[in-house]
Amino acid sequence: MKERLKMKKVFSKLFLLAVCLTMVLSACAPKPTPTATATPAPVTQPPVVVPTATQPPAPTEIAPADIELWASGRVTEAAPPPDDWIAYTKIKDELKVNLKLVLLPSTQSDQDTKINAAAASNSLPDVFFVSRDTWFKLVGAGLIAKVDDLLPLMPVRTASHYSDPDRNRLVTVDGAMYGLPDPGAMPMTDGLVIRQDWLDKLGLKAPTTTDEFLTVAKAFTNDDPDGNGKKDTYGFCAFVDGSGLTAMGVGPRFDWIYGAFGVAGIFDLSSAANFGLNVRKDAYMQATQFIRTLNEEGVIDPDWPTLKKDEFRARWKQGSCGMMHENFAALSTQSNYKAFDENFPNGFWSVLVPPKGPNGDSADGTVILSARIYAISQRAIDAGKGPAIARLLEWMANDEGYYLLGFGEKGVNYNLDANGNITLDGLPDPAKAWTKAEMQPLTQLANMVYIFTPVELNARYPSYTAASGRQMDPLSYYTSFTKQPYTQATGSAIVNPPSNAADFTRFYSENIAKFVLGQEPLNADTWAAFITGLDGLGAKDLETNAKQTLMSAGFLE
Amino acid sequence: MKEIIVRQAVPRNASRLVEMKQHISPVLKTMVKYRWLYLMAVPPLAYFVIFHYLPLWNAQIAFKNFKPLLGVWQSPWIGFQHFITFFKSFYFTQLISNTVIISMLKLVFGIPLAIVLALALYETSFKRFQVLVQTSAYLPHFLSWVIMLGVLLMMLSPADGLINAVIKSMGGKPIAFLTSPDWFRTVVVFSDIWKETGWATILYLAALMGIDTTLYEAAQVDGANRLQRIWHISLPGIMPVIVILTMLRLGHILNAGFNQIFVLYSLPVYSVGDIIDTWVYRSGILDFQLSLATAVGLFKGVIGLVLILVANRVAKKVAGSTLY
Amino acid sequence: MMRTHIKSWDNLIFQAVVNGFLLTILIAITIPIWRVFMMSITPLSWKDNGTFGLWIPPWQWSFEAYRELFKHPAFAQATYNSAIITLGGTLISIVLTTALAYVLSNPKLPGRKAMMMFILVPFLFQAGLIPTYMVVQKLGLVNNLFAIMLPGAIGVTNTFVMKGFFEGLPEELEEAARLDGANDLQVLWHVILPLSKPILLTISLFYAVALWNEFFSPILYLNDNKLMPLPVLLRNILLAANINEYIESDAFSNAPIQAFKAASVFITMLPMVAIYPWIQRYFTKGTLLGGVKE
Repeated sequence: MKERLKMKKVFSKLFLLAVCLTMVLSACAPKPTPTATATPAPVTQPPVVVPTATQPPAPTEIAPADIELWASGRVTEAAPPPDDWIAYTKIKDELKVNLKLVLLPSTQSDQDTKINAAAASNSLPDVFFVSRDTWFKLVGAGLIAKVDDLLPLMPVRTASHYSDPDRNRLVTVDGAMYGLPDPGAMPMTDGLVIRQDWLDKLGLKAPTTTDEFLTVAKAFTNDDPDGNGKKDTYGFCAFVDGSGLTAMGVGPRFDWIYGAFGVAGIFDLSSAANFGLNVRKDAYMQATQFIRTLNEEGVIDPDWPTLKKDEFRARWKQGSCGMMHENFAALSTQSNYKAFDENFPNGFWSVLVPPKGPNGDSADGTVILSARIYAISQRAIDAGKGPAIARLLEWMANDEGYYLLGFGEKGVNYNLDANGNITLDGLPDPAKAWTKAEMQPLTQLANMVYIFTPVELNARYPSYTAASGRQMDPLSYYTSFTKQPYTQATGSAIVNPPSNAADFTRFYSENIAKFVLGQEPLNADTWAAFITGLDGLGAKDLETNAKQTLMSAGFLE
Repeated sequence: MKEIIVRQAVPRNASRLVEMKQHISPVLKTMVKYRWLYLMAVPPLAYFVIFHYLPLWNAQIAFKNFKPLLGVWQSPWIGFQHFITFFKSFYFTQLISNTVIISMLKLVFGIPLAIVLALALYETSFKRFQVLVQTSAYLPHFLSWVIMLGVLLMMLSPADGLINAVIKSMGGKPIAFLTSPDWFRTVVVFSDIWKETGWATILYLAALMGIDTTLYEAAQVDGANRLQRIWHISLPGIMPVIVILTMLRLGHILNAGFNQIFVLYSLPVYSVGDIIDTWVYRSGILDFQLSLATAVGLFKGVIGLVLILVANRVAKKVAGSTLY
Repeated sequence: MMRTHIKSWDNLIFQAVVNGFLLTILIAITIPIWRVFMMSITPLSWKDNGTFGLWIPPWQWSFEAYRELFKHPAFAQATYNSAIITLGGTLISIVLTTALAYVLSNPKLPGRKAMMMFILVPFLFQAGLIPTYMVVQKLGLVNNLFAIMLPGAIGVTNTFVMKGFFEGLPEELEEAARLDGANDLQVLWHVILPLSKPILLTISLFYAVALWNEFFSPILYLNDNKLMPLPVLLRNILLAANINEYIESDAFSNAPIQAFKAASVFITMLPMVAIYPWIQRYFTKGTLLGGVKE
């Protein structure tokens, strides 16, 4: 009893002490600077802390420098380059740079956490790869340096990597570039494909409209297109892909349906007058209704809301999908196609022209230009490492660096044929070909040099003969995709998320999912309630701010 | 520590040492007596200071608009702004209720099951069988939730899952367990119990092994049957362990299992499955995962503290054993 | 002690219920575990044969996933790193935890309650990832294996459990030793610890498993890829499939991705599972002086 009383007393004393401490601390905490606002306002333009740039030293002599680079490896599951990698030696001897390479973890969230932790303790590395959302916050905190001064120091690289005005806009804040926007994902790499062998078996033609799509999907689901006597096939497979503002709703794998109704993508970017969230349009509701119909008719693999990307891919490799929206490389390169090929030697995917909606619209998806942003920390510039960094990056962009980092050593890992294409012919030791698994550590930094030239693409996605004897040409899928209609939506990449982005995106996506899965009735009233809810969460502010950002960046007229 | 300092009158002709000893208060005397213990306590307590209290000092960024260039102390103070953002966020009530419900369900079903399993393992006559079951039971602890999703899909998929096949064969309609708001929590609680019970049992079983077997023999002689022996000897014997584990778990009641929920949840079940930690994770990209996450962490601590205080009082009355 | 005699109907029914319950548990556990094992040996060209993945004929078993994982050039190094982290960290943890638990188990120690509150407060109020990172970084432990072993060195739950066990030891033994002139250190070493084998081994196992499976702090604190422990390597392998958009490379394509996931689980599981029966030997009924009493 006494003990309890004692405990209570000790506790109340401690609590009182804590409260007093808090009050004292709040009283003598450093006063906020006059320009800072008391409550954090939703940020559209970050309050840019202008770094005091030091002048790069006159190029009379090259001072040696240590550079720490955090890069996302080209093959994240493979090992980093060996310690005796010839590139390290060359970089040291020719550029006088000691390169310390750290390969970032496989997932973006792990990468972001690592970078955020370093940022919080003000110990960011010299050069690092970073996702746009994180990059944006780091710029606002003054931790990332402007790169405009460095571009003249690396003319070759700037010409080949940084001369796309749209991509440059992705990293421009208040008129200055705060990151190096290396080419990101190629546009239009994902498109609709259909099991041609199933069409042939059932004597059907590829669907050209959404109604025909539904018919074909039903046939694929109910009429046993693979002829194994079991009802184990679905007309359409998908999963909820992507995250962030641009992937709201049920994700990019369903974007073609919205495209068929003329509302692909989150925003209407056709003009400043028309700008707004597509979700407000009637066509958006109709497209959602169409997806709901697919679910009601049972023609879509019902696990789709819970699948992750690799599960989704496992399913089509197992032969349960008739149509899907997939990445050309994930579909058809030799290592990825192997499993499907072994299971279904007669199986074949052909490109499906995106079906047209009731008004004749169609789009295979949206094109959002992206960049792989390499940021340079303000600390590095303050330490005078700017010229050394520029030297390193420039070397990577000229022939020696490009080939060494992209493909390995000539005559050992690759050869060039008469037309300048990469080949594996004439290699003394075929086991050292750059495509081999054991040689992957040598090309881990390839993402820093690739610029998607035809030579590169032919080297990376060669045609081959599959085990079943079929001739496969991955690039032909890609070329076909690029010929399909897509909706331009690059601007949406620079729309800065509102301060309640997590709640906004959840509300948006969760409700669309409920409509689509039949958990909520879908009619004019419920849709209106949904829109009202969005407005309650700040949809109008989001639109206003986004419009402003896009217009000042030149994405909207 | 209300020990009273007693000064004794000492006759002048006593030895100096005795004089000294009798002048020192009993408290100090005890402390000197236990000096080795204090010495032993220094490294562990230093660990807490360095790796728990220093970070708590850094955690004041929960009350600040943290700017890494200024550092923790210099960053501007904004008081409870982050907390208010959290409390006023659109889904706050839902997050709290989901978190508490899921956490409590796991506790209420998980702890008794672990105890019952430990008792069953203790009481079985077949030693080999006991080892077999025990070893198998804790294997799931080693599975990651990423793998578990695959297993759960195998069992629960509305298309071709095991359970739905059974349901269909009995003429019912398949249930989408993982994407149905009605079933998601059940799946979460069940799968977590499945995964962790065997591991929790290890400790209870170790505790049972420490009970004096002569007590059982004596009770048997007195005519107690099996159930009575369990109720009056086994359970009280491991009650201190039960109390410790339950109370510490209550202290973390607002941790409902981020890794599990993050892997298993999906858009259709956000309304019943989104917990505080998954929300913080999604919001985290907006501000370095720093100030907001830290503020939420402190909030969790306050709730946990209150719960432990209350639970300790209850435990004293009900179980006769306390945490501290 | 094995009770081999079934004395009466009472006992019979009781044993039937108990063993029936255990059997149910066994089946409930085994089926999914078996499924995971099946996943790990699924060949690349596998089509669903209607057994919910529970039966693959043994002649079709493919150990490619295991083979490719073991063949990974960084696998040996990663296992070595994991071993160091696990052994070193467990040693540090068990020493610190035992010391603290023993100190706290002395009922007459002045300041004991304060110490308990002292360690309970940060248990409740956890500062979080990044505040801890900032401290570790200031200590210069970034890119050092100690950054993984130290921040989680003492678990509050483990401490309280061990304290409970120490409190349950009969006082007579301790007093006898003290009468013989032993100080606290000697009492701990010569009297208490030998009697606490079960709890020491159990808590060590808990720490060891946690350290062996730790992947997040290595991702955060380690930059040198050569220091990465096994869970990080496996995580990179498994999650790579989700981000490598232009997967044109050859590695890890000889088995389905599910097989790799399952195989990596079994690989990490095996050492820990192997240790437990060895510890189990110390768990015998009525080890009087190692348990908790009323």
